[in-house]
Amino acid sequence: MPGVYFTTTEFLEDAKSAARDRGMPGIRTLALPADKYYVARGDKPRLQLIAAKFFDQMVSDLTRPLTPEEAKPAQAQKQVEDANIKVTGKDFQDASEKVNELFLENRWADGLPIVPPTPELVKAMEAGTTRSPSDVLGQVAPKSGTATVEKIAINAVMAGAKPEYFPVILAGMEGFLDKHYDLTHVQASTGSFTPVVLVDGPIAQELNFNSGIGMLGHGWRANSTVGRALSLSLLNLGQTWPQVNFMGLTGRLEAYTFYTFAEDTAKSPWEPYNVSQGFQAGDSTVTVATSWNPTIYGGGAVSPWTAQGVIDEIVARIKGGGVRWPHSQTYILVLHPDCAVELANHGYTRRSLQEYLYEQTRVPYEKLNKQVSFGQGTEEEFIRASIQDGRIRPDRAQIFLDNLKPGGRIPVVQSPNDFHIVVAGGSPGYDLLFSYPGTNWAHQTKKVTGATLTKAGR
Amino acid sequence: MIRGVKWFLSAALVSASLFLAGTATAQVTLEVMNPRGEIPPPPTLGITPRIGDLAGKKIVLIDNGKFGASNFLDVLAQMLKEKYPTATIVMYPKPAAQTITNLPKWYPTVKQHGDLFVFGVGD
Repeated sequence: MPGVYFTTTEFLEDAKSAARDRGMPGIRTLALPADKYYVARGDKPRLQLIAAKFFDQMVSDLTRPLTPEEAKPAQAQKQVEDANIKVTGKDFQDASEKVNELFLENRWADGLPIVPPTPELVKAMEAGTTRSPSDVLGQVAPKSGTATVEKIAINAVMAGAKPEYFPVILAGMEGFLDKHYDLTHVQASTGSFTPVVLVDGPIAQELNFNSGIGMLGHGWRANSTVGRALSLSLLNLGQTWPQVNFMGLTGRLEAYTFYTFAEDTAKSPWEPYNVSQGFQAGDSTVTVATSWNPTIYGGGAVSPWTAQGVIDEIVARIKGGGVRWPHSQTYILVLHPDCAVELANHGYTRRSLQEYLYEQTRVPYEKLNKQVSFGQGTEEEFIRASIQDGRIRPDRAQIFLDNLKPGGRIPVVQSPNDFHIVVAGGSPGYDLLFSYPGTNWAHQTKKVTGATLTKAGR
Repeated sequence: MIRGVKWFLSAALVSASLFLAGTATAQVTLEVMNPRGEIPPPPTLGITPRIGDLAGKKIVLIDNGKFGASNFLDVLAQMLKEKYPTATIVMYPKPAAQTITNLPKWYPTVKQHGDLFVFGVGD
């Protein structure tokens, strides 16, 4: 079926890149001027002026005969990226600087200095796992670069990670590459989402991950370089670049290291988070989850707070957002240890707190947004469509159907399990709520295995 | 921490010194590995042959669901109607928030609604 695509100038390269990725480089695409279109898009008379300038070209693109190249383009060749590169400098510092310049020029680095990934350092990194360098973990979106253990090791070296961190990095990549994880969204979206990387279990302590004051900040090599190794692996294996095919409008707020931290299992009043996810006590795991930037609750060192007050504030915040995409909505609530202990003293278990949040955040039917948004219809129409096509699981569908009527209360998530509760932070501390309002599932926990240099994660 | 820094420095120096031997000058060559992965290319396809004239055709305007796209397509629809009065304009919005699995099922349905399409506005 012949067609024409409209995009805007800022997204033209992205559109061309996606067309090549999908094997249709010849798609005829018209780019509206971004600086004029976005401000005018609510105003039809202004849009009329823009459309008038593109109308004849659109008609031409719909009717003009194909060129031979459009009709039968040359087949794309396999991109082989195996060759090592030799870089010479007048001394080590000069050579290292040249490597950094080359990598950034090739869009293989993130803008911070990288450790040159020499074969020796890569081999040392690979020694951190029992896995073969040629093992394939999967294809990384959006360009489907093949993620082998060796390629991830190269990126881990560049990030400055230590070989003993490598099994944690591999587990994180396994999470991103799970078939149920919507990696394309976090790799490309204008929403500038940042992954949460949560390390849980004994390996967190053994590798000195920070789970206390400043756990999302600088100063801990494990937090910083594990997150950066994952970031670089996604950048290089998915081949994304800002203004080309990573279109996060502001960029990720934690672009270099992601939100990488560990759970404080010692101070938590509850079982480790990973046990709540079905893993065995003593397992070490990595959870990766796409997230919007977190909101902060509690008084920290400044204001008084109560644990119930924190929870009530969080409930109000979530409830205020309505029921947008309950089929995929998830929350990660990071409670600082004092708050978690207070809640436990008031009788909350992790499970009962999940159920409390699930119940209290339900939105009255009368409050559902009746405006059509995002081309998806009203909130009620979207929920019904999600039930019909199975995105809301059959075992949860009846709860939604029973409540889609006057007097009903609609859940904001599919089940209490979609509130992920983790304990980390200082004393005093703040509480953080990460949310993911994406359209597909993007939360996975994987066990750390194959470690050779640590007691945990073997 | 200190152990890690020492590890890195010593490894970097060792790797650099490997290339010093045998050179007449003090130049250093670093051999580094490519961080990108191999990409298996998809089959490359040509685009569909065009229709010579829009007169009398059914033109499907696909709203991709982003704010303002429907306004833009409304404007295009009006212009198409004025220039091609015998053409039929069909507004057929793409359901947003689709899952990976059901989007491929939706796209072929566009063909049931017309002869050619205009899609917008992508970001």
